[in-house]
Amino acid sequence: MFLLIAPSVALLLLIHGFPLLDAFRQSLHDGTLINTGSFVGIQNYTDNLTSEVFWKAASFTLVFTVVGVFGSWAVGLGLALLLRTRIPARGVFKVLLLLPWVVPIVVSSTAINWLVATSSSPIPQLFETLGLGQPLFLADPFWARILVCVFKVWISFPFMMMMSSAALASVDNSVYEAARVDGATGWQQLRWVTLPIVARSTYISWILMTIFCVNDFPTIFLLTGGGPIDATNSLVVLAYRLVFQNQQVGEGVSVAFIMTSVLVVISTLLYRQIRKAAH
Amino acid sequence: MSEFRMPDMSRRSLLRAGAGLALLGGLSACAKSKTVAAGGDGQVVFWDMPWAQDSYNKSSDALVKAYKPADGLPAASLQRIQWNNFTTTFSSALASKTGPAVSTGGGFQAFQFAEEGYIATADNLVKKWDAEGFTQDFLPGTLEAMKTDAGYVAVPWQTDMRVWWYRKSAFEDAGVDVPKTWDELVTAGKALKSKGYVGFGVGAGAGNNLGAHTMVLMMINNGGGLFTPDGQLDLLNERNVEAMEFVIRLVKEGITDPAAVSYTSDNQLAQWKNKKFAFGLFTAALDEGVGDTTGDLLVAEPLTGGHGDKVALAFGNNIMMYTNTPSQEGTEAFLDYYIKNMKAFWQQKVVNGMPVLQSIVDLPEFQASENKMKVIAEYQPVARTYGSRSTSLFAAMAQVDGGQPLAEFTQTVLSGKTDAKTALTTLEKGLSAIVKS
Amino acid sequence: MGAGPWLRFVLMLAIVAITLVPIGVVLFLAFTPSAASASSGGFTMENFSSVFATSDVLLWLQNSLLVTLGTVFVSVAVAAPAGYVLSRGRSRAVSGYSLMLFVFQSLPVITSVIPLFILFAKIGLVDSLLGLTIVYVASSMAVATWMMAAYMDSIPISLEEAAWIDGASMFRGFVQIVLRNSLPGVLSTAIFTFLVAWNDYLVAIVFLRSAVAFTLPVGIQSFFQQNTTDWGSVMAIAVVMLIPPVAVFVLLNKYFSVGGIGGSLAGQ
Repeated sequence: MFLLIAPSVALLLLIHGFPLLDAFRQSLHDGTLINTGSFVGIQNYTDNLTSEVFWKAASFTLVFTVVGVFGSWAVGLGLALLLRTRIPARGVFKVLLLLPWVVPIVVSSTAINWLVATSSSPIPQLFETLGLGQPLFLADPFWARILVCVFKVWISFPFMMMMSSAALASVDNSVYEAARVDGATGWQQLRWVTLPIVARSTYISWILMTIFCVNDFPTIFLLTGGGPIDATNSLVVLAYRLVFQNQQVGEGVSVAFIMTSVLVVISTLLYRQIRKAAH
Repeated sequence: MSEFRMPDMSRRSLLRAGAGLALLGGLSACAKSKTVAAGGDGQVVFWDMPWAQDSYNKSSDALVKAYKPADGLPAASLQRIQWNNFTTTFSSALASKTGPAVSTGGGFQAFQFAEEGYIATADNLVKKWDAEGFTQDFLPGTLEAMKTDAGYVAVPWQTDMRVWWYRKSAFEDAGVDVPKTWDELVTAGKALKSKGYVGFGVGAGAGNNLGAHTMVLMMINNGGGLFTPDGQLDLLNERNVEAMEFVIRLVKEGITDPAAVSYTSDNQLAQWKNKKFAFGLFTAALDEGVGDTTGDLLVAEPLTGGHGDKVALAFGNNIMMYTNTPSQEGTEAFLDYYIKNMKAFWQQKVVNGMPVLQSIVDLPEFQASENKMKVIAEYQPVARTYGSRSTSLFAAMAQVDGGQPLAEFTQTVLSGKTDAKTALTTLEKGLSAIVKS
Repeated sequence: MGAGPWLRFVLMLAIVAITLVPIGVVLFLAFTPSAASASSGGFTMENFSSVFATSDVLLWLQNSLLVTLGTVFVSVAVAAPAGYVLSRGRSRAVSGYSLMLFVFQSLPVITSVIPLFILFAKIGLVDSLLGLTIVYVASSMAVATWMMAAYMDSIPISLEEAAWIDGASMFRGFVQIVLRNSLPGVLSTAIFTFLVAWNDYLVAIVFLRSAVAFTLPVGIQSFFQQNTTDWGSVMAIAVVMLIPPVAVFVLLNKYFSVGGIGGSLAGQ
């Protein structure tokens, strides 16, 4: 058994081990990107934990992650279930629906910006025509938050759809026939038959998506840069801005570490669920 | 309910894994022959950014290729570095000694790396140019802006000027004159607004610094600024408060674009192109960016501020030398060649920035552009930069200019939902954490 | 076939149409003259012709394919056995291993890219496609392992037990029973790692210096100038970037749309 994971462990330690230690060392110093600076102990951590900006970013990260994970899961699972049924040209749909995942984010974020940014962009024009006024999708903090979350769901649902499809592939249709004989409605079949069968895979996809969302830098950064003001500032964007724009490297990296620790705790809790859900 | 038919799946997957490893082996072989270290093969490595369209890249490649070093000096080679995340690219290269011998880059990068001890000053080169009389060719203020307590950290090659532009037809439509003072800016703005135009076109969206530059320019324009002459942060002075109150007033009067806080520079270009923006700050290349050849987009006079100051804001793009070089003499010889021959960029019209050499301004190709000549005539003489003479302060300018506090401050002011004092107090707090020394 | 399938067809059509609006924008911009161009409006191939004529897009494409395929093969080869252990193992060591995966995957790339670069510079792996491939394999490793594990969970352990009773070793049980029944899982994992490597620019832009080593996401950045962007060319390259992954999806589509293996196994 050890031999089976040995290559993976070796690679992980080699590539991630050193940067992890180095980053931790940076988080205890007040250096720049090049020079280490002087040792400041846990001051960077306490600075962050007592800063309003940090907590605001943390709360947006939470919203972004919850919407990202469950939004993309609901859409992905729904589409995967729909694609299991008989639909003409099913294969074409399946390929087309994977596209949002494939487009480089620097390009899709530009497309979104093109759709909403100015008053002459198509979507504000559409809203105007429908008599819904002209919401400032990127300039109004409320709409900017919604837009970023919707964009994240748009990018992520194909992954969830693929995970769900692969898991559903192992569900035997005869299970449903049995359920139907027992008079279960479609919803009941989903709740009591499908979901339990794909539970482990679902938990794993939740864990993965949680990590993707919390760590997601480009989606937010390219669309809003964390703004307007700091409405869509997430922890990883905050870390980036601190490290690379403000060159407050220690503080930025310590944000990343706090984030990572919380993430590891959440992942571990979810992982326990997986074990419980073992068949 | 069909089973996958995969005879020999196992063997095939092993073969594939084998093929993958073989591929890696192959890649590894090329990797060894291609590893880069500054002057690894004795050449002067020059890192250049994509300053303008692809034609610029071709032109600068040609310029470097045409360099014939004197006897015993190394040849030069060029690598194109992308803007995206360039601070990381430079920092990681310097830290691992795989960086260039000479490079362009961010406007404040040379000051920052000088502070970290990676820059070779250009003092010898400037001395040589003094002896030749070549320093006279630099436009006033351009070369001096690179001088610090430690010497010349770089030499300038073009100026990135912030310029007030206007759309002639929009002003005709609204029946007002192009503003020359702040008061006129308000009057014109109201008239333009009634016709559906934006009279103070700015943008402060993702990755767009132009809005922040507008704020700083307005402060300087009113006799204020970010720093005192001796380099102390000084945000809450009366002039700054007044200037920001003025901007907030423009916002509240509806003279700005309500979505300005989210505009990227591309959105700004789009608003100019769609004839929404009638007046506003941009780089010196707005007409080229919009693709307007009708002469409807024109350079306005620098505005005169509330207390009679007439100023412009400039960023000196420069070329810096690094201590990690195969030969300092070789690097200097290359830089000497490059600066003296870079006029080709303006002759071929492949760059958008303003030249720093009088001999380039005098080129017929440059004289042909009325907008650019107006910038040289009216903006260049009153141009100011961000900071003061102290290196350590300049070292922090990159973070001040591109950092989070100034960007958020700009968005706060442009949202109009604040008062100047509160916004400036937050900015001072944010900047003082960055400008530690 | 009643009305049901066609009703669902229309529903699907509507969903896909809405979903693909942003991609429509990309195509639209790719075939529209860029802002600074003299011609205005209308359909044009000028972005594509200029990109192919003046930039090294084919070289970038080749580099991207090389790195991506390398990443996919190595990742799957390393992640499949690791995923198997994660799926079947119940020991403390396995828990420790999963914790390690969480920790490494959770740290954002942006904080590790500089130390990683310095490390790779020491062993001469910067500015090389091999170095980049190794980074991609490592950074997709945790997810790839989890994806393999998630799929292997659906394969009943009873099958391997039967094989073990017949005297097969653990490794043989893994290869002959689990791996050969894991094609949809392998393909999902392959697609995931394909996209990680194909679309990354954060690492590539720091690691690759020589124009001959650029991958597509780095090459595309050449069109981002200081204050403006040549969007026509960027979108044209984006369309080029879409082609290989879409081709992969089309080729592999039938493998994951079929009913899967579970059905035939469930009866046993």
